[in-house]
Amino acid sequence: MTMQMFLFRELLGAIRAKSATLFAFAGVLLFLFLASVACFFMITPGSVARSTEGQPTEEIRVFLSPRLSSATIDQWFLEWRERNDIAALRFQFAQEFDETASGGLFILTPVDPAMAAALASEFREIEGVTEVVEVPRELAIETPSVSLLIRVSLLVILVATIAASLFCFRRGFHELLTAFSGEIRMLRLSGIAERTVFVLVVALGVLMGLLSGVFLLAVLYLFHQIALSNAEAFSLFGGLVNGLRILSVGLTVMALGTVLGGLAGLLGASLLHGHEFDALP
Amino acid sequence: MIQVSELHFSTEDGVKVLEDIHLRVDQGELMVILGPAASGKSLLLGLLGAQIPPQRGQILVHGRNVARLGPTKMLSLRQRIGIYPQGFVPLPRTVHENVAFKLRALGNYREQAEEKVLYALETTGLIRQQGSDALELSSIDRIRLGISLAICHDPLLLLIDEPFEGLAEEEKAEIARLLCRMNTGHLTILVATRGTVPPGLAVFRRIRLMDGMVKGA
Repeated sequence: MTMQMFLFRELLGAIRAKSATLFAFAGVLLFLFLASVACFFMITPGSVARSTEGQPTEEIRVFLSPRLSSATIDQWFLEWRERNDIAALRFQFAQEFDETASGGLFILTPVDPAMAAALASEFREIEGVTEVVEVPRELAIETPSVSLLIRVSLLVILVATIAASLFCFRRGFHELLTAFSGEIRMLRLSGIAERTVFVLVVALGVLMGLLSGVFLLAVLYLFHQIALSNAEAFSLFGGLVNGLRILSVGLTVMALGTVLGGLAGLLGASLLHGHEFDALP
Repeated sequence: MIQVSELHFSTEDGVKVLEDIHLRVDQGELMVILGPAASGKSLLLGLLGAQIPPQRGQILVHGRNVARLGPTKMLSLRQRIGIYPQGFVPLPRTVHENVAFKLRALGNYREQAEEKVLYALETTGLIRQQGSDALELSSIDRIRLGISLAICHDPLLLLIDEPFEGLAEEEKAEIARLLCRMNTGHLTILVATRGTVPPGLAVFRRIRLMDGMVKGA
């Protein structure tokens, strides 16, 4: 066992009930923070439903027979363009809509959507017209912004949990270092570099952050399995059914947890330079 | 071995604690530093032990100028010095675990540490109490443990600050005998005390610190 491993084990051994409780709180709060971050990636994007039911016709598609001569098509184009009840007219090849189709089509916009039906009937009667389709206007309906509410709540949770977590970490490290102060004093007298203890405290923070991340990864996987069999129950968190997303988000939050744990460790290690521990003989 | 010249030290408030100290201690020598409380004995030991960086003057320990040592060499020097601090408080562990902790922290493997623990405890006469709770030791045994900790890593220099504090005359004599026994071979020992020197140490060189100055040998 190397010196660092030995000292790390000793440091862990100095964790008492109070510091353990504080670290447990800090870990749970960090877990909640990471879970909130993960939720951001799992929320179903603000769903937009498109409805055409009962909507007025926006355009009329007049499909032309492929047998029609280009002269006829040109003539119709010129004639229809002059009509007062047609606001816009353009020609397209039918293959642009359907690869198997042939011929062309006119796409026209009626001046008055209420007159669209009459116009369509009129075009159906024309010889050389194979089909007339009335395309109603699509109406985009955004679902009530539940996702926005969730996002705002998550932001609040994010800020609250990380602040509370760092506070608990700091208190926990203070308790731990107080319990370890005799050993710190002995290490100083023995000529052990100050950074040795510093690194150990940071490592402890990293370990706790990593554990929170790993635990969250496990929980995400569990929810993923549940969501696969019961997707409706997780309609707001549609990302849970996507295995790849679960993996990428899980690994990301694990890395984030490790970094935040390291930061918490740095916060704890900085106590060593505070008056209380710096004054140790 | 140790050479001190023109050593000055002042507090942040500008109070002079050590003033123009000149000192030479040969390798293997045992020297007693006498002086009343707050005369600068502990500070001098702290400076010699590379625990406190000097402000002015030269301190040569093992041919190394403490003032000019970089952090790594400073730590390396500290590891060759054994220190018994004034008012030593052991770790709340057994006697054996106290010494083993220091040795393991210094990078000794378990077996190696075990050997050194037993040797140190044998030297100080604590071998029978190795399983005892260090916090429940008698005053003299607590001092013995402190000395065991100071010598366990085979240092070249031993700095002992107030080893007779709270001891009866007979116990003081016993610690003095222990220090004499250890003063064989290469180990240099500096003992700082404010009281009278026990008979066992009377034969060794003494210096007296008064108001931060060496008043006489």
